[in-house]
Amino acid sequence: MELSAEGIGHSFGALEVLDGIDFRVAAGEILAVIGPSGCGKSTLLSILGGLLQPDKGRAALDGAPPADSLNPLTFVFQDFALLPWRTVRGNVELALEHHRLSGPERRERVEAALAAIGLAEFKDVYPKQLSGGMRQRVGIARALVVRPAILLMDEPLSALDAQTRELLMEDFLDLWLDAKVSAVYVTHNLTEALRLADRILVLSRRPGRIKEMVRVPIPQRERTSLAAQAELAALSDTLWQSIKREAQVADREMTDV
Amino acid sequence: MSDPGVPPSPARRTVPFRGGGFAPQSRSWISWATLVVVLGAWQGAVSGGLVSPIFLPSPWTILLALKSLIVSGELWRHLAASLSRIGLGWALGTMAGIVVGVMMGLFTSFRSGGIPMVSALYPIPKIALLPLFILWFGIGETPKIVTIGFGVFFATVIATFTGVDGVPRSLIRMGQSFGMPMFGIVRKILLPGALPGILAGFRISASTALLLVVSAEMVGAQLGIGSFVLSAGNLMQTDQLLAGVAVLSVLGLMIGLLLSRLEKWLLRWR
Amino acid sequence: MKARWWAACAAVVALLAAGHAQAADKIKIGVLKLVSSGPIFIAQEKGYFAAEGLDAELVYFEAAQPISVAAVSGDIDVGITGLTAGFYNLAGKGALKIVAAQSREEKGYHLNAYLASPAAYEAGLKSFKDFRGKSVAITQTGSTFHYSLGLLAEKYKFPLSENRLVALQSLPNMVSALKGNQVEALVIPATIAVPMIERGEAKLLGWVGDETPWQLGASFATPKTIAERRTLVTRYVSAYRKAAKDFYEAFLQMGPDGNPKNGPEAGALLAILSKFTGQTAENIRPGIPFVDPEARLLVDDIYHQVEWYQSQGLVDKAVEAKAIVDLSFVSGHFNVPK
Ligand SMILES: Nc1ncnc2c1ncn2[C@@H]1O[C@H](COP(=O)(O)OP(=O)(O)O)[C@@H](O)[C@H]1O
Ligand SMILES: [Mg+2]
Repeated sequence: MELSAEGIGHSFGALEVLDGIDFRVAAGEILAVIGPSGCGKSTLLSILGGLLQPDKGRAALDGAPPADSLNPLTFVFQDFALLPWRTVRGNVELALEHHRLSGPERRERVEAALAAIGLAEFKDVYPKQLSGGMRQRVGIARALVVRPAILLMDEPLSALDAQTRELLMEDFLDLWLDAKVSAVYVTHNLTEALRLADRILVLSRRPGRIKEMVRVPIPQRERTSLAAQAELAALSDTLWQSIKREAQVADREMTDV
Repeated sequence: MSDPGVPPSPARRTVPFRGGGFAPQSRSWISWATLVVVLGAWQGAVSGGLVSPIFLPSPWTILLALKSLIVSGELWRHLAASLSRIGLGWALGTMAGIVVGVMMGLFTSFRSGGIPMVSALYPIPKIALLPLFILWFGIGETPKIVTIGFGVFFATVIATFTGVDGVPRSLIRMGQSFGMPMFGIVRKILLPGALPGILAGFRISASTALLLVVSAEMVGAQLGIGSFVLSAGNLMQTDQLLAGVAVLSVLGLMIGLLLSRLEKWLLRWR
Repeated sequence: MKARWWAACAAVVALLAAGHAQAADKIKIGVLKLVSSGPIFIAQEKGYFAAEGLDAELVYFEAAQPISVAAVSGDIDVGITGLTAGFYNLAGKGALKIVAAQSREEKGYHLNAYLASPAAYEAGLKSFKDFRGKSVAITQTGSTFHYSLGLLAEKYKFPLSENRLVALQSLPNMVSALKGNQVEALVIPATIAVPMIERGEAKLLGWVGDETPWQLGASFATPKTIAERRTLVTRYVSAYRKAAKDFYEAFLQMGPDGNPKNGPEAGALLAILSKFTGQTAENIRPGIPFVDPEARLLVDDIYHQVEWYQSQGLVDKAVEAKAIVDLSFVSGHFNVPK
C-alpha cells in the first residue's frame, strides 16, 4: 500500500502551519521527515493518519493493505500514549479488542508482538514500573500487533536518552526490514534520519514547506561500516548546513510564542 | 581517585545543612493521642464545673446515651433507615451524575447547557425546596432519597466532568488512531482516565450524603439517625443529640476509610 | 483656657453621674414576633416597662427553642414563648422557672385549628370522632401541636399511637403535605387556617381552644435571676400584666354573638401589634389568642403537660413540674394542685 500527500496545507486559525506538501511513500519505504520545532511535522503526521482534516489537499492511499492488516495506518507516539491503568499486555491488547478475533488468536498475536520487541518478561507490569525505553517498546508492540501497512511515527525516540535510543533504533530497524512495513518517521534528529530512512524530507520552518528531498544511497544494513560512515557524515553535513539557519530562526520564534 | 594532600586547616568547617522539613507524615499514635487529650480535657472541664453540662454534656454522658441507644436496639433501627436512604440516594445520584458528567465532558451542547445549570442549581439549599419536594414527591421515602440524590448528583457531575477533562487528549487520539469505536473510547479510555477524579468526587459526595441525611429526614421521618438528631435537638436532649452526631461522624470516618480502600484497589496502577 | 477645660470636664462627669443615678435597670426580653407576645409589645410601646423603672430591650428570635437556651445562657433575662417538651427538658435540669402566663387555648378564641384535607373530608373525616388512625402533620415531636393532639386523643378516647404523626419542621411544609394529600389532617395557627378554609383548600374540624383549653405559653427566667434580681422580675411581671389587661379589654371580651368584640382601644393596639409583628392589622385580628389579663397560669395543665410528655418518652422522667413553676409573682393562679 502506498501513501501520498497531495498538496496538503493547513492553518490553525491565523497560524499557517503547512503549505503545499506533496510526496509519496512507496511500499516498504521509510521516509524520514525532519524540520525545526514547530514547523508542522506532527500536524502533517496527524493529517496523514486521518486524525486531522487538512484545510487544503488530502492524504491518499493506493492499493489494498495486506489481508491480515487490522489497522493499515498505525501511529507510534512521542509520549507513548500508554494507558497507565492497563498492564503491558493490556495495552497491546487494547488495539485488538474491537476487532473480531477469537480469544486464542488474540492472545497469540499479543504474545508474538511482545516477544518480537523483547517484552516477554514484562507482560503483567504496569507502565509506571517501566523505563522510558521499555514504554516505547510497548508502544511499538501495540503498533505491530495490528499488522500495519504504514507506520506513522512521531519522534518516537526523542523522549529517551541517547543510549536507549541507539538500542531501540537497531531493534526497530530489524523489525521493519523483516516486516517490510513502510513508515513516515518524523524526527528532528539528523542521525536518526540518516540511520533509518530510505529518503529524507526536509521541511522549512513554519509554515512547513518541502525544502529538500534527499535519498540515502546506502542500504540500511550497511550503514554501520566505516566506509559508509564517512559518506553519511558528508551527507549529514550538507543537510545540517541546509537546516541550520532555519533551526536558529525557528528557535527564536518559539520563545516569542 | 581521591584528592590527598589537602592539609587540614583550622578555618575548615562543615557546610551548613539547609534541607529537610516540608515532609509531614501521618503517625497514628499522634492521632489517637490528640483524640484522647481532647476528650480528656472536655471531660475534665465538665466534671470540674468549668462548663455547665446543660451547655455541653460530658463525653461520659454522651457515651452513656450511646450505650442505651445500642442496648435498646434503637441505634440499629435508626442506622438501618438512614443507611438505606443514603445508599440509595447516593447510588442514584452517582449514576446520574456520572452519565451527565461524561456527557458534559464529551459534547459541546451538554457542556454549554450543563455548566450554567449546575452552577445555578448546586448552591441552592435543599431545605428551601422542601415544601416543593413534599408537593412533588410526598412525604415517604422518595423525597428523602431525592434530597440526598440531588446533592450527590451535582457533586458527582462536577467531579466527573473535570475528571474527563483531565484525561490527556493524546490518549483519546491514540484510541482513534487504532480505529476504536466511540463507545469503546469512552469505556476503555475516558472513564478509567477520569476515575481518579470521580473517586475524589466520591469523598465529597459521600460527605454530602451524610450532611443531607439530616435535612432529608426533616420531612416526616420516624426513624433515621438524622431525624433522631433533629428531634433530640428539638427536645433539648443534648446528650442524645451529641450521641447522634458522634454516630454520624463515625459513619463519616468509616465511609472515608472504605473509600480509601476502594481507591487504593481501583487505582493500584498509579 | 485651662480653667475652662477643667470646668467642662467636671460638667461632663457630673452629667454622667446624674444620668447613672437615674438610669433604669436594663432588662433583655426574648420574644418571637408573634401576636401571642402582644402584651410585651404594648408594654414597650406604651412605656409600662419604663414606668416600672425598666429599660427593656426586646431580643427577637425566629423559633421558640433558642429563647429558652438564651435565657439559660444569660443572653436574655426573661423569655416569653410557647411551652414545649424541649423547654421542660431544659427547665427540668434546674435551668428555668415559669413566672407568669402568656397565651392559652380558651373556649371561643380561635388560635389553632384542626383542618382536614378536602379529600380526607370527602372520605369521611368530618369530625373528631373520625380522627382515630388518621395521619396528621405537626411541626415537631414535643411541640405544642403535638400536645394539643394528646389532649384531643384523651378527650375523644382514641389511641394517639394509632395516628401517624408526621413531623415536617415548618408550617409551609405542613401546608404542602396537606395540599398534596400526603396527610389527612393538621393542626395549624388561625392566620394560616382561615385563608385555607376560605380558598377551599381545607375543611375546618374545630378549634383547639374549643376542644381542649390549655396553657400554651409562659414567661420564664433562670432561678439565679429570680433569686438575685427578684425585683427585676416583679417589675417585669407587673408591667406585663398592665399590658395584658389592655390587650384583654381591647380584643378578648366576649360579645353577645359569642365572638370576641373590639374594645375602644382596639385600633390603637392593633397598630402597635402590626408595627412589632410586621403583619397587617387585618391579618392579625382573626388570630388573636387568648391572654389572661392577670397573667395567671392554668397550673394543673402545666403539671399535665409534663406528665403527658413523660408518658410519651419526650421529657426526662426526673423532671418535676412543681420545681419549674414559681407561683409567687402572680396571685390567683388557676387550679393549683395540692
Ligand atoms: N491544535 C492546535 N491548535 C493551534 N495551534 C496548534 C495546534 N497544534 C499545533 N499547533 C501549532 O502549530 C505549529 C506546528 O505544530 P506541530 O505540528 O506540533 O510542530 P512540530 O511537530 O513540527 O514541532 C506550532 O506552532 C504549534 O504551536
Ligand atoms: Mg511534534
